[in-house]
Amino acid sequence: MARLSATRREALTFYLCISPWLVGLLLFVLGPMLVSLGISFTRWDLLTPPRFVGLRNYERMLNDPLFWQSLKVTALYTLLYVPTELVGGLALALLMNQRVPGIAVFRTIFYLPSVISGVAFVVVWMWIFHPEAGLLNLALAQVGIAGPRWLTDPRTALSALWLMSLWGLGRTAVIYLAGLKGVPKELHEAAVIDGATAWQAFRHITIPLLTPTIFFNLILSLIATFQTFTSAFVATNGGPLDATLFFVLYLYRQAFERFSMGYASALAWVLFVIILSLTLLVVRSADRWVYYEGARR
Amino acid sequence: MQRSLGRVMSFTVLFATLAGLLAACGGAASTPPPVERTVVVEATVIVERTVEVPRDVVVTPTAAPQAEGAKIVLRVGTGDSGEGLTPHLKIIEQFEQANPDIQVQLEPVGSGDYYARILTQIAAGDPPDILQIGDDAVPQFVQKGAFADLGPFISGSSYPLDTGIYLPGVLDPGQWDGKQYLLPKDFSPLAVYYNKKLFDQYNLPYPTEAWTWEEFLATAQTLTKDTDGDGKTDVWGVQLPGPWTSGFEYWVAAAGGRLISEDGSTFEGYLDSPETATAVQFYSDLYNEYKVAPPPADLNAFGGGNSEFESGKAAMRLFGRWPQAGLKENPNVDLGVVGPPAGVERANVLFWGGFGISALSENQEAAWRFLSYYVGAQGAEVWKDWALPTVASVAEASGQANDPIEGVWIGELEHLAPRAYVSTPYWGATADPALRRVLEKVIIDPATDVPAALKAAVQEAQQALEDQQ
Repeated sequence: MARLSATRREALTFYLCISPWLVGLLLFVLGPMLVSLGISFTRWDLLTPPRFVGLRNYERMLNDPLFWQSLKVTALYTLLYVPTELVGGLALALLMNQRVPGIAVFRTIFYLPSVISGVAFVVVWMWIFHPEAGLLNLALAQVGIAGPRWLTDPRTALSALWLMSLWGLGRTAVIYLAGLKGVPKELHEAAVIDGATAWQAFRHITIPLLTPTIFFNLILSLIATFQTFTSAFVATNGGPLDATLFFVLYLYRQAFERFSMGYASALAWVLFVIILSLTLLVVRSADRWVYYEGARR
Repeated sequence: MQRSLGRVMSFTVLFATLAGLLAACGGAASTPPPVERTVVVEATVIVERTVEVPRDVVVTPTAAPQAEGAKIVLRVGTGDSGEGLTPHLKIIEQFEQANPDIQVQLEPVGSGDYYARILTQIAAGDPPDILQIGDDAVPQFVQKGAFADLGPFISGSSYPLDTGIYLPGVLDPGQWDGKQYLLPKDFSPLAVYYNKKLFDQYNLPYPTEAWTWEEFLATAQTLTKDTDGDGKTDVWGVQLPGPWTSGFEYWVAAAGGRLISEDGSTFEGYLDSPETATAVQFYSDLYNEYKVAPPPADLNAFGGGNSEFESGKAAMRLFGRWPQAGLKENPNVDLGVVGPPAGVERANVLFWGGFGISALSENQEAAWRFLSYYVGAQGAEVWKDWALPTVASVAEASGQANDPIEGVWIGELEHLAPRAYVSTPYWGATADPALRRVLEKVIIDPATDVPAALKAAVQEAQQALEDQQ
């Protein structure tokens, strides 16, 4: 048996060690993905064999008003939600970073919604948003405001879902919190000695050192938001009047209500390309605004 | 920098890949994995079995016995869940005692995933031998060859079935192209529930058979009350089922219209006919002009998500028989039931569930033996305690046919108008969503131009119909 060189052996060990993941990826991720790419060029209702239709599924999107509506809803919601999650999460993390007695309890409370299952979470909020008997409108009535019909009004439904999602800020905040803990104290001390105000210290020390965390949260949030599904599926089912018809919900409908597997797969690939390009865009932009301590520039 | 970026890059690619996969999987992105449990249903177990079955139960079939002369194992797929499984299990138990050579396995799939499940099973060539499906799914499944023609079995020599035993109209939804593919499990037309307490309180006579839309409206208006004078309605005339399209077909039929041409080729002149417009306008007016119906609390919920009738805050409710058992026991309600009011026509629509034999089943003979028992007189004897019985003699013997409440439901079978889905397998993918949008629109916005909205719906539906072909 030939002796392997040290580097080769190292490489072999590496592949051996990651093989459980690699096999899983090939079998359960890459395989299905390629199959779905193939299906996207067919018409398939599961009952009869798929029929090759070339690019027709992709052409169909151009004239499908619901495709554009779902894209619009998803983009609008992403524009609304991602910034609030980034800023709100940071604000929450700053609060949770205070040294006050019992802060661990608050951290737990704020993180708590993140461990609740998505559906249970949404159902609770549906009660809160109930137009007549809901907590929110009862509270608004106390101060003399006639609350809107939230989930049953096309003008407020998307905002209601946005409001609902803000409950999950804790997850982002915890990641920020870890980032905040990593900001060296001595930099702040030096800044204070030099006469910097709290805001200046925050703006010129905390924020730059936090950019890798912001970057990570941005990518995570972007991808997750583009895939919003549970809240719309459970609370509004895309309505009223398609005001909350998210892209993934529309895709789900095509696949599992209409059983148009071909069209659904084509939609999935369009979503994949959109998410991939946005993510790459963010990654490319990182050079300009993400700073790593100790990195050579 | 290089290293970190590389790391982040691979992370990103991993996430993006995952994203694509999840999207490809149909967006189950954030749904938790279903709880899988194996429940093997056997006769000996059922006797002691409690009826509580968790909603997400997925029954994985056990392998069929290989030995010569072993029992034939039949698999039965149903979308029922929870308490609804009890009658299934009861009938299976009785059947197995009478037919020791056959073992029946119930495979329930709850929470709305049932069709997706059986379709994937069919695509994989391994569906249950007997499948339960609902009315509007029949054309789609049958047309694609999922079910076996029951004709030869019904008139066969070994286990013939007398189709004359059924109540009128309940066989029709199981037919396609003149052949019987499914047999009825249970059914429900629409009717108007009324709360006698509120009628008594305001000295109003109870509604009677053969009332009209005008009388219905007048009754609803009389019973819509602002009891504390704060300008808000406290008691509503009638609770309506929101933008529920299948239920809305009653209004169209009563207005003398239909939603699709009989041959299923076009919606033009039907979905946008003056009759349909009249029905939509009247329905909208009940909400917005006369304000006798509470606005839907949850447009997404089946039936509009309202609970005014249950809490004694609405005098009437138009719906199917499904919530009746609860309403009978509800202390807020002294229940009466009457047929829906007549417009130009005295009409009703039928909701239906039935069983058929999979075209892929290798045990069609045995499956027929079970099926004819399941939906025959013996089966109906069990179903009658859970739903309206489909067999006339059972309805008579149990007294349901002459019951002041159950008799109304059964009597409604005399007034059935054809549902739109019987004309095309594509109804659910084409005009149904378009009509739903119109209904949502008129309920939300009273100023909607109904004829124009219907015109737009026709265009959308027609375009979708072309995409299907």
